[in-house]
Amino acid sequence: MTSPTRFAFDTLSRGDVLPTVDLTITHDDVRAYLEATGEPAARWGERVPPVMLSALMLATLLGQVEIPAGVMHTGQEHESRRPVRIGEALTVTVTVSSYAVRRGALMAAFDAEARAGDEVVATSRASVLVPPPEGADTEGNAE
Amino acid sequence: MTAPTPAPTIEPVTRLIDQPRVDHYAVAARDPNPIHRETPEAYAGPFGRPVAHGMLVLALLSEAMTNACGEAWERGGSLKVRWRQPALVPVEVTARATLRSESDGVATYDVMCEDAAGEALLTGTASVRLA
Repeated sequence: MTSPTRFAFDTLSRGDVLPTVDLTITHDDVRAYLEATGEPAARWGERVPPVMLSALMLATLLGQVEIPAGVMHTGQEHESRRPVRIGEALTVTVTVSSYAVRRGALMAAFDAEARAGDEVVATSRASVLVPPPEGADTEGNAE
Repeated sequence: MTAPTPAPTIEPVTRLIDQPRVDHYAVAARDPNPIHRETPEAYAGPFGRPVAHGMLVLALLSEAMTNACGEAWERGGSLKVRWRQPALVPVEVTARATLRSESDGVATYDVMCEDAAGEALLTGTASVRLA
């Protein structure tokens, strides 16, 4: 994965599109992932487990945005369009699909799209919540 | 060709998520957040100890769907979940799925991951096109 510029979380706004990042998943990557999750490896052969791709799409976001302390990953969506092969050259683009403050808590969602050339192979959405700091004003709402 | 009949329930997957597994996952999934590891941040955080990555818990659910649906899960599977409570390490997690509906060749399952006490860690839906 390439190393893009990192953005401060509090500078993001809804509609922002982060720079597209290259992603190629290797045999070693898949082996390490399956050893960690405990899933049997043999059945995957030359293919990438779908939720591994989702996790690495999320890692793309983590590599691009400085995530504040205390952030909670509250929800996740993922859709696979087709199997992804190990070694396939992908790109991942993350869009800030929502970003709002409610009673001091910051709620954001990030949509990620993985492409092989022009073809979308998977999409995902990660929802996060940053609780208000202790003693913060929790009355305001903003986007 | 007739679409295969979806299984009414999917064989659960149960696995212990302990700290070595979480540490290994942090590297493999490129998520080094200190709240998941044996760090001062984890012990000073709201849960008082390390919390497993939500995506590691979710991986068990995807494994269960793969067991049941095979390549159909890769071709057109989708998930939509919310985490209900943190998976405090160590935790034995069981992923379950029960058929909710089938329409136009798409099976939709209610899914959950629970701890050994039966408390929900994650709930949501998973859909897969059968043919």
